[in-house]
Amino acid sequence: MGERIIHGRIDRSGALVSADAPLLRLQQRAGAGIGKPLALPHLARLVALAQRLQRDISRPLYAADDHSDIHALVRVLPDEEGANLEISDWRASAVTVPQMPPVAETAVRPRSWSWECDQQLRVVALREGRDAPPIPEDWEACSLSELFELQPDEEGGFPVLRALARQSSFEGQRVRADGSGDARVAMVLTGEPLFDATGRFTGFRGTAIVEEPTQSEPNHVPNGGALVDPAFGSLPLSDPQFGRRIDGALRGPLSRIIATAETISGQFDGPIRADYARYAGDIAHAGRHLLGLVDDLADLQNIERPGFKAAADEIDLGDLARRAVGLLGMKAEEKGIRIDAPRTDDKMPATGEFRRVLQVLLNLLGNAIRYSPENSQIWIRVDREGDRAKITVADQGQGISSEQQAVVFEKFERLGRTDSGGSGLGLYIARRLARAMDGDLAVESAPGQGARFTLSLPARDVD
Amino acid sequence: MAESFSSPGIDLPSPTLSARLGELAVFLAAPTAGRLTEEQRALSLGIARRLVAAVADELDPGIDGDALWRDWLAAGVPAAERLTTVCFARAEEHRWREYSAQRVTTPIPLEGVEEEAPVASDIPSDIDRAYLALQIADRRRFDSYGNPCVAPADVDTGLFRALLLDIAAWRLARVAKDGKLAADLGEAVRAATEGRDAGAGIDRAAKAYHDLLAGQGKLADAATAAITRHDWVTVIALSAVAARRPYVDTALALLSAEAAVLPFLLAPLKLDRAALAPLEASLALLPGRAVSGGAGDG
Repeated sequence: MGERIIHGRIDRSGALVSADAPLLRLQQRAGAGIGKPLALPHLARLVALAQRLQRDISRPLYAADDHSDIHALVRVLPDEEGANLEISDWRASAVTVPQMPPVAETAVRPRSWSWECDQQLRVVALREGRDAPPIPEDWEACSLSELFELQPDEEGGFPVLRALARQSSFEGQRVRADGSGDARVAMVLTGEPLFDATGRFTGFRGTAIVEEPTQSEPNHVPNGGALVDPAFGSLPLSDPQFGRRIDGALRGPLSRIIATAETISGQFDGPIRADYARYAGDIAHAGRHLLGLVDDLADLQNIERPGFKAAADEIDLGDLARRAVGLLGMKAEEKGIRIDAPRTDDKMPATGEFRRVLQVLLNLLGNAIRYSPENSQIWIRVDREGDRAKITVADQGQGISSEQQAVVFEKFERLGRTDSGGSGLGLYIARRLARAMDGDLAVESAPGQGARFTLSLPARDVD
Repeated sequence: MAESFSSPGIDLPSPTLSARLGELAVFLAAPTAGRLTEEQRALSLGIARRLVAAVADELDPGIDGDALWRDWLAAGVPAAERLTTVCFARAEEHRWREYSAQRVTTPIPLEGVEEEAPVASDIPSDIDRAYLALQIADRRRFDSYGNPCVAPADVDTGLFRALLLDIAAWRLARVAKDGKLAADLGEAVRAATEGRDAGAGIDRAAKAYHDLLAGQGKLADAATAAITRHDWVTVIALSAVAARRPYVDTALALLSAEAAVLPFLLAPLKLDRAALAPLEASLALLPGRAVSGGAGDG
């Protein structure tokens, strides 16, 4: 039964116009039938959501009749005339409730908690599903970020906070929560926004699903996020355990600091004095900076590993420049900085590892934005010189003296700057990466004249 | 009641026949009254099943809830009459909220908004905390899959004790006569009854919220706002406390009331008549409502 797909069709008015037997039976047990509005509220809500978003959605479906609870996975595919339903993994568990001992067939169900919070992210419901870790005590009214230690996504952001600002649904928010005993359990949160009849946002409702453990990343980690030994500093950089220990020892606590500081700064638990909110914002900012440093250190450990070699992808420096501008354009706009990027038809084929070249460009462009005066301009140019493809990032900042140019690519060199802008590792890593791709990174500058960083890579001939 | 459907001199040979005759007698007594829909029956039974399992769990987590419900369905649920009101009220309330929620149009997500939270406009007050507690008490009335249930804390002591005793009797019969188990079960019933914080559920949360609002003269405003938001839990909770009735009774009264009766039911809240319009409209749109004369069927 688990592999069979049950089909159904909903018309534009929300009526069930066709259905395979199990779905039809459920509709009939709910007092309706073919041609009648879908009488399964949960499913009807999913259909309405898919139609509103006009995109496919897949969700677990829970329904109940008088003698069983039904669990399935439903996929809703909306179109102009209504929506198609594809229901798989249909399981009817007779007269069982979550508190009862599990029966064999339920072992494959996702292990999850369901939760709900109000508009200030205070938890109002937390329930454990079958086979799920026990829910923590004292969850009532505590902050969502207190209950779940939010982990940043690849861009360093938090899907739940983005969703809160946009009052939209979210998924893929990785968290850690208290499990049984001292262990913490890795979970993934998804949530749907809730609104009242006046259209006012009233909170989120969602699930927290236990992440399946992988060999490299067990889902239970010792309490506090420290994987093994926080004294990772005693390890040489070449130790292959180093990066992983950094992740465990620093990333977890830092993520928690950032999430908590953002919660305070955002005043989710109620207003606080404006200066305190600003301090919390500063803490979050500093936390992100430290997280960036952790990333840099992990990168450093990686590229200094003997035999490190970047991939030789076929890339277009013009395209990569435009991508970098797309990612950092907002930051530049905040300072009124205009970026003159290569035009769409400006191509410069080269060979290098796509993501590493993008990383280098983001570093160069990020520095240019950070150290340029407000309302200035940054230029990005692509060019070819013999067998070298080049991309140059030039700014109107205060420039770098020849003495400083000699050390700017050194490890932890920040040219005497004391702000929280960077780790002093970015340019060192960027040059190491450039050289690992058979290229180089150079700087030309003079005090008061801005700086020009040029990344050169092997050019690629295109027919 | 039994006399009305057992013909004198006939021994009814099976509970099924007895039930059918009973059903027919009830039908004949009120032929035009609307009957339970499948949805209402399914919801009420599901709620009863979950309540029985929850109480059994409080008595002894080792009790096989599946087997208990199976046996009770076969032989008849012992506390059926006492369960009926509480389960049906919860089922109807759930139906109302679900149908009402379906009609709420979800706003389009805000685009281009930065990752930044809105700033709360009021200092969290006692009222705010009491409202939060009411929400938490309400959400305890759902199981882990979002199915409606009745929290044991919301059940009156009489029903709770009756269920405990019936479950203990079933357990004892199932494991044969065992003096020690009987004593243990008796002790478990006593401990569960005495350790129970009666009324700790939604009624207490409702009273705390109501009293704070009333103390600050904000009761009518809060109730009006709740009606506007279609926050029916709050509407039921506030009107229940204002009328000094249990939440479950008030829910059933509202759900089975004709529109003309609503102002009287909600009179203690001192609401403007116009404020009741969304409530009347929402109830009118709920199909299969048990109003007088079956007017709500539809």
